Amino acid sequence: MEKEAILELRNIRKVFDKTVALDSVSFSLYPGEIHGLLGGNGAGKTTLMNILYGLYRKDEGEITLHGKKLNIQGPKDAINHKIGMVHQHFLQIGNYTVLENIVLGTDVAHPGSMNLSAEANKLVELGKRFSLPVDPDAVVDTLPVGTRQKLEILKALYRGVEVLILDEPTTNLTPQEVDDLFESLRVIVNEGRSIVFITHKLREVLRVCDRITVLREGRNITSLTRAEASEEIFVRAMVGDQMKIEGSVYFSHAALANTAVDEKATPALEMKNVGLKTKEGISKLSNINFQIKQGEIFGVAGVAGNGQRELAECATGVVIPSEGTILMHGKDVTSLPVNELLKDGIAYIPEDRLHDGFLPKANVAQNLILGYHRQKPYCEGNLIKWNVVHDKVRGYISEYNIKTNGPEDPGGNLSGGNIQRVMIARAFSMDARLMVAHNPTRGLDIPSMDFVYNKMLDHKKTGSSTLLISEDLDELLLICDRIAVLYRGQILGFLDRKDFDKYAIGRLMSGIRAEETADMRAAP
Amino acid sequence: MTIVRKIVPYLIAIIASFAAAGIFIGLTGANVFQAYQTILITSFRTPNGFVQTLLKFIPLTLQALAFTIPLTAGKFNMGGEGQMIVGAIAASAAGILGADLPAFLLLPLVILAGVVAGALWGFIPAWLLYKFNINEILTSMLLNFVSFQLIDLVATGAWRDPVAGHPTTIQIGAGGFLPMLIKNPPLNAGLLLALLVAAGVYIYTSRTAGGYELVATGANPRAASVFGINVKRMFVFSIVLAGGIAGLSGVIEVAGVQHRLIVGLQHNFLVLGVIIALISKGNNLAVPFVAFFIAILEVGASAMQRTMNVPVEMVFIVEALVLLFVLLSDVVRRR
Repeated sequence: MEKEAILELRNIRKVFDKTVALDSVSFSLYPGEIHGLLGGNGAGKTTLMNILYGLYRKDEGEITLHGKKLNIQGPKDAINHKIGMVHQHFLQIGNYTVLENIVLGTDVAHPGSMNLSAEANKLVELGKRFSLPVDPDAVVDTLPVGTRQKLEILKALYRGVEVLILDEPTTNLTPQEVDDLFESLRVIVNEGRSIVFITHKLREVLRVCDRITVLREGRNITSLTRAEASEEIFVRAMVGDQMKIEGSVYFSHAALANTAVDEKATPALEMKNVGLKTKEGISKLSNINFQIKQGEIFGVAGVAGNGQRELAECATGVVIPSEGTILMHGKDVTSLPVNELLKDGIAYIPEDRLHDGFLPKANVAQNLILGYHRQKPYCEGNLIKWNVVHDKVRGYISEYNIKTNGPEDPGGNLSGGNIQRVMIARAFSMDARLMVAHNPTRGLDIPSMDFVYNKMLDHKKTGSSTLLISEDLDELLLICDRIAVLYRGQILGFLDRKDFDKYAIGRLMSGIRAEETADMRAAP
Repeated sequence: MTIVRKIVPYLIAIIASFAAAGIFIGLTGANVFQAYQTILITSFRTPNGFVQTLLKFIPLTLQALAFTIPLTAGKFNMGGEGQMIVGAIAASAAGILGADLPAFLLLPLVILAGVVAGALWGFIPAWLLYKFNINEILTSMLLNFVSFQLIDLVATGAWRDPVAGHPTTIQIGAGGFLPMLIKNPPLNAGLLLALLVAAGVYIYTSRTAGGYELVATGANPRAASVFGINVKRMFVFSIVLAGGIAGLSGVIEVAGVQHRLIVGLQHNFLVLGVIIALISKGNNLAVPFVAFFIAILEVGASAMQRTMNVPVEMVFIVEALVLLFVLLSDVVRRR
């Protein structure tokens, strides 16, 4: 702790419109440390680092690097000061090779001939040093997400950064890839660089970080070294005092009760040999076979883009599968459209809430009845009873803690997290017998996530079933009875709750059909 | 409170556009105050002026609704004029062919023929959109030109009135006339039809499940379809309904005002309808009120041209400026 901080941010303040995103936040970084920046959604983590990287201008406060005051106008300035950032969404050119992406925007030795062998050597050497192996000539589009992330980190290292900011770097990685990443990060800081690790996942931070700063609602809550603090202190710091941690699902360590599954009853959802091809004949799903029992929470794990969206849309009737049959409570619903299924008692939380689930130009009440607008008590005859709707909606607004001025507030005024709350309130509003939820907690803070998990478990207790498709493996491990792993449109394996193992799932997620998981595959 | 806050930007926009257009009127050498006095008071000074205003109000309201209904679903019907003309042609055809029928048969027949014809004219772009995903703005607009030729053909063909100096058909049967609310100055029952349609459209879009689906489709077609609304059918339905309403405006011109088909009956109704719809920001409840305001300006403009030699086009400038300022007030408020 005697070391001199290389980078300091003091009393940073940033206001968007009327919301104070950051209120007098300070942050310091020592050489050779991995500094975790922890907080729930909307805590201001990314905003703070975007200011450091020059993407936003600060309203107040100052930044010093090596004791000198810094005035960063844009990412280019940041890189000149050896500050690099890896965003949650990679900024890469898909049809360029790895090497071309790396050198883009830098000076190369032979600009005339574009002979990049010197640069290629440097890249390979960097990859070896930090155990981030990549093939310089591979085209980026063909690479898996884990490798694309390595590329993004190498891009920063290639530019000689000393401060590396990683924004939620583990989002789309398998547990094995997370381990590898953490090892590489350790090598990177051992050479004297510093890393800022932005995340909302407490357990990751405790594994890899030397120091941890917690932000909540745009304020500094605490800054502690790993050794000084217990998990509990951070939990308390992240969620504040309002939330009861004892009753929380999110922070529970004990295995949740997992008994309410009715094995004998007709399955809530059954897919037999379901396949889906695009118009161009590209297979998106093939040979999908599974049953969801009544009262079961059935999880689907996988790296994003392996057919999750297609699976959700087949299950809800948004798209009709090109082959196979889908049974819902024993009834063939393969070619029934979504409005019939909604009437039959399904609920859907789509992944892409802005495009697939929300009406920005309509008001909150209109959004909350979408899909159920022809059902009682909202609609009688052909007339929508707006007074009933508005009463109900006021109830949802307070129960689900949706921050809005009321039922007639335009949807466009809601923030991302509040839009997600609308999606969730709508899905739970009709006591659906089968819920299809795709990344339902994305964008929510911890108390809200907890609220959703509790709702799902309550839903389970009534004998209703859930198809939970999620990229957050921790979430699946927390509340699912069974997990299937989706890889390139196929289910590679099933795991029962007693056999849950992060690494076994991780192997399946990267397409390795391991021997020991093969015999676990339940016959549909 | 909220109503006041909604109306204030309109008032500011109106005042600002009058002030700006006043500069142009002043440049023509006319007395600006006298010009505005003529524009604003003509409609209320004489019974005839007021009836003239109401007669303008009818087609303007219907044309604006023919634009706002598809707009609610996120589609643009630029064919209101064509649908009106085709509606007028069909109404005249029914009125001439069935000239001997009694009123209780002929009048419903005339109305029905016009509405159905307008709806069919709207169905063409709607179907092209549904089937081939062809942009409805283009197709509905181009069909207007087809309708211009069609009305020329009909008005100069077998039903031509040889004594008229202008391409016009003979009169429809007296049984097809819309009843008069007031004999002198003549005001026909089309006014009631227009008010009924405006009220019906408002109730439909704001109270019924079908109207809700229309709004949801316009708000986000992808999300609407994910949640079970057949958005392509909503597109078709909205344009066909708009066509029917535009067709009705043609019926009222024929059966209520002229009692015959006259080339040029569409005036500038499409452009004015679009302006009214946009000033109303697509709000079906606001349409009749804005339409009435524009009708006052239109009637006042003709009077101004007659008495002061200020060209009617000046009022176009005012109308366009009102629209511009209303749109501008949106931008200002968002800041």
